[in-house]
Amino acid sequence: MIGLDVGSTTAKMVKITDGEVIFRITGTHNWKDLIRGIKDDEIISTGYFKNSVPHKATLTEITAARYGVKHYFPYADVIVDIGGQDTKVIDIRKNNFVINDKCSAGTGAFLEFVANYFKIELKDLGLLHSRAKRIPDINNTCGVFAISEMISQLVAGFSKEEVIAGMHYAFARRISFMIPEGETIVLIGGTVKNEGMVSALRDILQKKVLIPREPQIINALGALKYYS
Amino acid sequence: MQVYLKPVKKIGITALVPPELIFACGQEPFDVNNVIPASRSYPVNKLCAWTAIWKEMITKGEIRIDSFIVVAGGDCHNALVDGQKASRSGIPTHFFFYPFDGDPQYMESELYDLSYFLGSIQKPELFKEIIELKKIGKKIDKKRSAGKISPGEAFRSLISFSDLCGDINKFRKDIASIKEIKIHMNNRVAMIGVPPIYHDFHEIAQSLGLHIVFDELPSEFIRHTGKDIKSLARDYCDYTFARPLDLRIEFLQKELERRKIDGIIHYTQFSCHHMLEDEVFREELDFPILTIQGDLPGKTPQQIKLRLEAFREMLDRT
Ligand code: SF4
Repeated sequence: MIGLDVGSTTAKMVKITDGEVIFRITGTHNWKDLIRGIKDDEIISTGYFKNSVPHKATLTEITAARYGVKHYFPYADVIVDIGGQDTKVIDIRKNNFVINDKCSAGTGAFLEFVANYFKIELKDLGLLHSRAKRIPDINNTCGVFAISEMISQLVAGFSKEEVIAGMHYAFARRISFMIPEGETIVLIGGTVKNEGMVSALRDILQKKVLIPREPQIINALGALKYYS
Repeated sequence: MQVYLKPVKKIGITALVPPELIFACGQEPFDVNNVIPASRSYPVNKLCAWTAIWKEMITKGEIRIDSFIVVAGGDCHNALVDGQKASRSGIPTHFFFYPFDGDPQYMESELYDLSYFLGSIQKPELFKEIIELKKIGKKIDKKRSAGKISPGEAFRSLISFSDLCGDINKFRKDIASIKEIKIHMNNRVAMIGVPPIYHDFHEIAQSLGLHIVFDELPSEFIRHTGKDIKSLARDYCDYTFARPLDLRIEFLQKELERRKIDGIIHYTQFSCHHMLEDEVFREELDFPILTIQGDLPGKTPQQIKLRLEAFREMLDRT
């Protein structure tokens, strides 16, 4: 049995062999590579395309996240899943969730926008953030206006690194508005590989923030765990 | 001797205006909200799509009515403003106010004002006919709660009680033709807040394993009635949406308990003041709650289906 998470940008596959979590990640367009030799009735699918790929059963990303996170952190209070197109916040204790899918400002797309502006790779944002000496205030919670505010700060003399750090704070602040009370917050999704964004979020939340070793595969793992 | 019959006027209303009084005054009510879910409009200058669309359709003459009654006090300020904008197109408009404190005397004077606006009571016998129809409405509601009528069909007939489709006889036949079926219901869900703007919402929820056994606003449409202005006033002054939130919650607690529900969907529109009530419901109503904010009419969007599905998964495991 495998868990298959086919999302808007990446596809992930997880299986458990001898108690060990084994996974593969690829681009969404290559999702078929992940299930070569695997029968349809051995697949539990989740993610945006869960119904379009072969499966025995499907599970929403929200429930999958809960079960996946439980595998690593059984006592987590809140899960924040920052995806490319949306951000989901799941309050485990209250059995509640909120999804931001209306506005790019609190999703991975926002940081992609920032990386594109500087013509750098998304994965380099974290490293550049760590070199910032000061952090400019970027207050706008709207993605488009935040970009123009970012340009104003560049003109005002802040370095690229500093402005990127400022954008991470603006992004983290936006996410923090969605996060309910709770001691332990678990971050998942591809965007949380960005250490700059994570350090901004830790600084703003002042709570215990945990990240699984491979935050991108949690939903695929959760889909598998739910049905096993 | 020649008899001159006064032509029947089509009276646009925003819910909830007692349709009993409009029929009794010899006129035909038409709930302008009922055309919205099927409309394809993208209104300009919108806060809530419900009011923005009817305002635009009335102004452009796409909804043809002779007069307009807007529920203002105690319900929705978007309707109050868009109602005034619609009235600028020249349609005689009356603003109808509910008492926040539930004062039946105030309600009575509002109903008298309304009857003057409509002319005067011409057909008092229709009050009784509508009382009987609303009894049938209550039976429909009970049957759907028992899984004998599909949630979608029950919703559509209950929501039509706001204007009885403008034709009492036809409406009576329509509701008599509702077929009984047997539905197995595992997740019994109450729909509170405003009705969804998506025309297939109840069917979609059902296909995802959520059976809606209560619709808050439509159930108000069948709950109130009366045999004359005085009794209408005594009954309608208790319209929960116009009353303090605590009373509404108290009413809901009993109703949800009675219907043995497993969860609640709280639906409002973006930019609707009812959204501000969400946290109070979460504090006071002891059930899992899914909050949905809708926007433009049409089919239930994919993102909302995802929320419904996740809610079902949540209920399955609680
Ligand atoms: S949904 Fe809210 S804002 Fe829209 S008409 Fe109804 S009460 Fe008014």
